Amino acid sequence: MGVQLLVGTRKGLFIIRGDDERRSFEVEGPFLKGWTINHAVSDPRDGALYACSNNWVYGGTVHRSDDGGATWERSEGLGLPEESELKLASTWHLEPGHASQPGTLWLGGEPAVLFRSDDSGATWKVNEAVLEHETRDRWEPGAGGLITHSITLDREDAKRLWIGISAAGVFRTTDGGASWEPANQGTEACFLPEDRFPAVGQCVHKVLSHPGRPGRLWQQNHCGVYRSDDSGESWERLDRNGLPSGFGFGLALDPSDPDTAFVIPEESAENRVTCDARIGIYRTTDAGASWKLIVAQEPAWAAVLREGMGFDDEAVYAGTQSGFLYALRDGQVVEAARHLPPILSVEAATL
Amino acid sequence: MAVVLLPGLLATEAGGQQRFELDAATLLDALRALPVAALVLDERGEVRPLVHVYVDGERARDLAAALAPGARVRIVAAIAGG
Repeated sequence: MGVQLLVGTRKGLFIIRGDDERRSFEVEGPFLKGWTINHAVSDPRDGALYACSNNWVYGGTVHRSDDGGATWERSEGLGLPEESELKLASTWHLEPGHASQPGTLWLGGEPAVLFRSDDSGATWKVNEAVLEHETRDRWEPGAGGLITHSITLDREDAKRLWIGISAAGVFRTTDGGASWEPANQGTEACFLPEDRFPAVGQCVHKVLSHPGRPGRLWQQNHCGVYRSDDSGESWERLDRNGLPSGFGFGLALDPSDPDTAFVIPEESAENRVTCDARIGIYRTTDAGASWKLIVAQEPAWAAVLREGMGFDDEAVYAGTQSGFLYALRDGQVVEAARHLPPILSVEAATL
Repeated sequence: MAVVLLPGLLATEAGGQQRFELDAATLLDALRALPVAALVLDERGEVRPLVHVYVDGERARDLAAALAPGARVRIVAAIAGG
């Protein structure tokens, strides 16, 4: 089976289709011209396409297409209540809801907000428990703003999910979003002068739950790569055993193997470029005990953003800020596209 | 009846329609009547900071101002971006 990649860029959305072997790719687009696509995803339940679309003049919204990108509808009514004294600045990540909840979507945005739709994005309701969280006054914006950028589901329990907010940390709900508790024990806030293990304030860059093993989470953080085997109750640091740096953004998993994960480390927070003058994809197959380098390109001084890695059953995909897209399958890297606008997000869906 | 003219991206979002003839007592009424109202106005009903509105060639800042019959409203995106 082939793959459809939704590639969000600073200048529109591209749909890139790969063959069964992930060796040949065709680029279609751009769609949604004039919009910056922070993230786009295909809903596995009905095939609809969703884009977190943003424009520096017209703000942040969501577009939906039911015909593969030919036509788009825009969500209405996205905004924050007046009593919050906040305004929606941008949309960052859309996560289709649990398989048992058709039409339910989750949407993360700035400033550290979460929305839910139960009508496939026609209307949205802000999550008040996040908006009014008791620790909100301790959340600080990262370089991308104070953003809810990760939303990851428990495939078995529709009421359990996790979100990642920069720089507030990981939060977990077990009641469908009615309440959220910090889930940051063991993750470091290495940029703080003291108390580097606070309850909140960590700079999570990406968090993913493994679709096949409930309770196993992976996290690429500002301060290391982490794994949790207890639903985020505690985290183990994994980046001192083969990774050149703990700093990075992108994260990808293998749906068939919960012990496999992929990251693309960057030199440091001060110099956000891939390590050792190359695009190095590091893979672990032993739950993070060791990592092996797969060189995608060298020499290169690139960067892959927090939504810049995608994966399906066959391969892992990485898009760079310099507009190159790579596919990694069976240890072999193929250049899938080049000279796109700066790539902000990659999502893969098996056709 | 006022005429409202949209820039390209807003016209695309309005289904390809660039020119609207609207019955509107005030400028705010006219903007709210557009199918792209949510892109011109934020959730408080305020014009987004980089959206500029001109009425008969003059920059309009008072949304409550009455619109004269035949007024020509032009929405302009501020020069920005890269």
